[in-house]
Amino acid sequence: MSIVPKETIEVIAQSIGITNLSPEAALMLAPDVEYRVREIMQEAIKCMRHSKRTTLTASDVDGALNLRNLEPIYGFGSGGPIRFRKAIGHRDLFYTDDREVDFKDVIEAPLPKAPLDTEIVCHWLAIEGVQPAIPENAPLEVIRAPAENQIYQQKDGPLIDIRLPVKHVLSKELQLYFQKIAELTLSKSNPSLFKEALVSLASDSGLHPLVPYFTNFIADEVSRGLNDFLLLFNLMHVVRSLLQNPHIHIEPYLHQLMPSVVTCLVSRKLGNRFADNHWDLRDFTANLVALICKRFGNTYITLQSRLTKTLVNALLDPKKALTQHYGAIQGLAALGHNVVRLLVLSNLEPYLSLLEPELDAEKQKNQMKSYEAWRVYGAILRAAGLCIHDRLKIFPTLPSPSPSFPSKGKGKVISTEPNKRKLGVDSSENRSPHKRLIATDGSDGGPSPMQVDRPTGDANPPQNSVRPSSSEQASDGNAPESRNAKEKDDSKGRAITRKAILDQIWKDDLDSGRLLVKLHQLYGDRILPFIPSTEMSLFL
Amino acid sequence: MDPEQVDEFVMGYLKKKGFNSAAKHLQESLHNNNGSTFSSIDYHNDPELNKLIRSFSQSENDPSRYREGYSKLRSWGYNSLDLYKHELVRVMYPVFIHCYMDLVGKGHTQEARSFFNSFRKDHEMVHLRDLQKLGGVLAPSHLQEMEFARSLRQSKINIKICQYSYDLLLQYLHRTESTLMLGIINEHINFQVYSGQPNSASDDIEAVTIVGSFHETADHVNQKEIHWGLLEDSLEDRLEKTGGLLSDSEKGQGESKAGDMDDSKKRSAEIGKQGSSIKKLKKDKAGTATTKVARQETSTVLSSMPRVKPELAMPVMSADVEESILEDLRNRVQLSSIAMPSVSFYTFVNTHNGLNSSSISHDGSLVAGGFSDSSIKVWDMAKIGQAGSCALQDENNQTVGLNGRRNYTLLVGHSGPVYSATFSPPGDYVLSSSADTTIRLWSTKLNANLVCYKGHNHTVWDAQFSPFGHYFASCSHDRTARIWSMDRMQPLRMMAGHLSDVDCVQWHPNCNYIATGSSDKTVRLWDVQTGECVRIFIGHRSMVLSLAMSPDGRYMASGDEDGTIMMWDLSTARCITPLMGHNSCVWTLSYSGEGSLLASGSADCTVKLWDVSSSTKLTKAEEKNGNSNRLRSLRTFPTKSTPVHALRFSRRNLLFAAGAISKPSS
Repeated sequence: MSIVPKETIEVIAQSIGITNLSPEAALMLAPDVEYRVREIMQEAIKCMRHSKRTTLTASDVDGALNLRNLEPIYGFGSGGPIRFRKAIGHRDLFYTDDREVDFKDVIEAPLPKAPLDTEIVCHWLAIEGVQPAIPENAPLEVIRAPAENQIYQQKDGPLIDIRLPVKHVLSKELQLYFQKIAELTLSKSNPSLFKEALVSLASDSGLHPLVPYFTNFIADEVSRGLNDFLLLFNLMHVVRSLLQNPHIHIEPYLHQLMPSVVTCLVSRKLGNRFADNHWDLRDFTANLVALICKRFGNTYITLQSRLTKTLVNALLDPKKALTQHYGAIQGLAALGHNVVRLLVLSNLEPYLSLLEPELDAEKQKNQMKSYEAWRVYGAILRAAGLCIHDRLKIFPTLPSPSPSFPSKGKGKVISTEPNKRKLGVDSSENRSPHKRLIATDGSDGGPSPMQVDRPTGDANPPQNSVRPSSSEQASDGNAPESRNAKEKDDSKGRAITRKAILDQIWKDDLDSGRLLVKLHQLYGDRILPFIPSTEMSLFL
Repeated sequence: MDPEQVDEFVMGYLKKKGFNSAAKHLQESLHNNNGSTFSSIDYHNDPELNKLIRSFSQSENDPSRYREGYSKLRSWGYNSLDLYKHELVRVMYPVFIHCYMDLVGKGHTQEARSFFNSFRKDHEMVHLRDLQKLGGVLAPSHLQEMEFARSLRQSKINIKICQYSYDLLLQYLHRTESTLMLGIINEHINFQVYSGQPNSASDDIEAVTIVGSFHETADHVNQKEIHWGLLEDSLEDRLEKTGGLLSDSEKGQGESKAGDMDDSKKRSAEIGKQGSSIKKLKKDKAGTATTKVARQETSTVLSSMPRVKPELAMPVMSADVEESILEDLRNRVQLSSIAMPSVSFYTFVNTHNGLNSSSISHDGSLVAGGFSDSSIKVWDMAKIGQAGSCALQDENNQTVGLNGRRNYTLLVGHSGPVYSATFSPPGDYVLSSSADTTIRLWSTKLNANLVCYKGHNHTVWDAQFSPFGHYFASCSHDRTARIWSMDRMQPLRMMAGHLSDVDCVQWHPNCNYIATGSSDKTVRLWDVQTGECVRIFIGHRSMVLSLAMSPDGRYMASGDEDGTIMMWDLSTARCITPLMGHNSCVWTLSYSGEGSLLASGSADCTVKLWDVSSSTKLTKAEEKNGNSNRLRSLRTFPTKSTPVHALRFSRRNLLFAAGAISKPSS
């Protein structure tokens, strides 16, 4: 009936010494208590309004009691909210947690910091009806979002109409900020500070006025500094941070940014030194491109189609350098499995036939070229593999790993061991990126794709530790040749043992199975690590 | 119906009501006549009477009848034709609350609660505040005690309804024989039936507001004559007379200030007169010709306005103050929907939730804050600006806070939270009101308390100087507003009539009237000389928090707790149009100098500008069309997370705003 139950009245009566309160009296009192409490709360709301607040505080209730000429509630106000605890053994009984405070502790405690004194700061909220984009004002696009779901929306005329000032005035602080960031990006000497700067770029509000300057800066520097690998990498980091900043409305500047980004992905040459790990930069940029497409693909519909067109053109042009092919493949791979399936896999066979002579060590004498070709081969293998992995995930899983699998895998690892070592030899300089590239299933960095599908990785560490010494010694011209030869033998041997069984099962499979067959024909067993173990077991 | 049954009912009824002798007579006559006709009225054959008697015979105390009757009426009303629906639905609310109060009055608390909870959703959108109040009423004694409920019980609600809807309603009530509902409607609703088509759903806001016994008095009161014209010989008039000088002096200033422009631009943080003059210069360069034309236009408009004589003895203005005001008026920027003002925002930081009110002086150079710790703090923004720019030169500076001192003047004297602190027009006094029931007058030159005015019996919510100083008005929780003059300890006039707290007060530009806004959801206009209420403005749905008078004295704007702003025509006491846009309390309103723009500041952390000039012009033409929803929101300036507590258009039409920054709620 009343929201105050009569038990509450009884408890309160007991607490003030009335033990013989009749239930009828409690029943009569309960609605009255509710009425009085409501009355006081309404007065408290009045006090709250006059204090120009929208949240009710304890002081408002004090004010309301004062207005009603009631005794105020004596005692200390605690800073935090009152904590209620459940009484043990009772279901609906709560009490406030009233700790005993030791005087000694209170006296010995250091004085709290004095609260800051009230001050006034002033700024221009608007100049002749236009809000200047200064840090003191709310950032523009953050405002727009809540305005859309306002309760009162007038139909005639937009409520919010903010135009950027015609004359773009940058505050001193912003100018300084821009200079600092530009310096850091160009200097490359202080990585830790640069990292901090990136964090600031990714999170600070009020940077919006700087966006056009940043896009200009990036475009200029990319076109000028194609030989400077580190600078390019820094610039891409800046782009990424800008994209991450939730307060920046970067969309209008995307058309300026995209050429620079795509340049970093598919340019023929990035950096001038051999040591520059431009593969890394391409990978990073590919992810960046994917991020952009994911975020702005909805609003900027032609973005992805234009991008993929550029990339596919780069990939299918045999005159383009292998590095460019690599960038294109990575870019496409980052855009998702569907893109890979539609654009890469359809062109896989002709492309691989194109790549074949480059891969073949006998025909390709230039070691650098050959390395590049293997790089591209790895990238395309990875893209295709991930794609097929994704396809296979849709399959109904049969959780019955065959018992013979581990032993088989073991045997395979052993058989491929020399092969792996050679691979490590070959990539003596760029080993780590290569590893990361291929080791997709998160094993501890097996140097070849073969190793990944091995269920137990305990044989790996000793190999790794052994390899550097041997690889250093064996690092000579004929290493790649021997590797290739070995690999071919290897894959042939294994293909014979397994192909029959696999084909038998795949025969009645869907097109993804066929796709797998096709890939298998193209790649041999190198595709297998990308197949999830449960599916793998299905096929075996 | 069986005649004998009827006789039984009649007997039962008479007995129950205590007409024992009548019952006896009836019994006797029944025995004598043995069932034959015994009276002149053949009630056995009259169907209407029959029904009536039957309804009386039903157990009167059955609480479920209310729910039944109301839910039937409700479903009928909501299923009626769209054309008449809104008029019929309008009837539901009074029926609903009276059903509830009837139930409570008869002691069926349980049923009353469940009835209330099952139907309150229908009315929450419009009547949320009333329902919150009524929801607590649980015992008959509460009905007696609570003023709101009592006034509802005692008075009739006026509802305008077209003839056809009225007929529909009556037909329905008769057909379904729901005498209970009929009884409630008869008892508590006063239909004003008009012929013709029903009004459109939204235009009649008044119709849905229920404010106790106001309506009859309001209609009566609003007949009184008021003179809303400006004062004779006002400064604007004088400005107009010196109009010949205007263009010359303007040129001179333009030249002389052109030099200052560069260095004053640099110190854009320094506000005050400097700020407005920068602004002014920009404006002038942009379109001197157009502003002049506009100025002449407005001056002719002003001169055509009716003039009134002051009813109070006006204070004499010192010559230099007058000169500076005239100077400001000459330099005023003309604002319109195309020419927007600049807004300078003063943000209070580190207030620790203690800032209750703030205000800005007319020239924007002084800012005062009233705090819940009983203190008042006054900042001189001009000084702070200087200190910021030339701190290096001033080494023996006393007031600047760079060396750890505070850079405001602390005024201590009140013994309760300070709910208002406002400046006199020249900025030499501060008037503050507090929960300790006193009003205090402070001098900004001496930084000391001059007078303590005691008179109110409760917390004083607001106090405002008259446009010419010397007099001030205050309003309080004790439901009165009072007029004071600075030189007397006792109030000169006391305005009583509001049914709840008087929350805000504002002077009319001609000083002959004050307007008060109250928690009873009305705004009243009072004659200062007689102390009488001359207008009642009904239409708000929640407590009125802010008021502003247009400079020409013809219109008034009021803002409420829900974020609605209403524009009123003083002479007709009708709402011109509600301005919807804010979604939280409208703390403050301010008209621009020539009355073309209205600025509003709200708890939703925005300042909005409304075009009010076009609307008032248009309404004249559109009155016939009945379409007056022309007031438009021109601009919204969101702050980062600062609710806007105070707004002030300077005489040169620079807009100052103030508020305390609050942490984002997330």
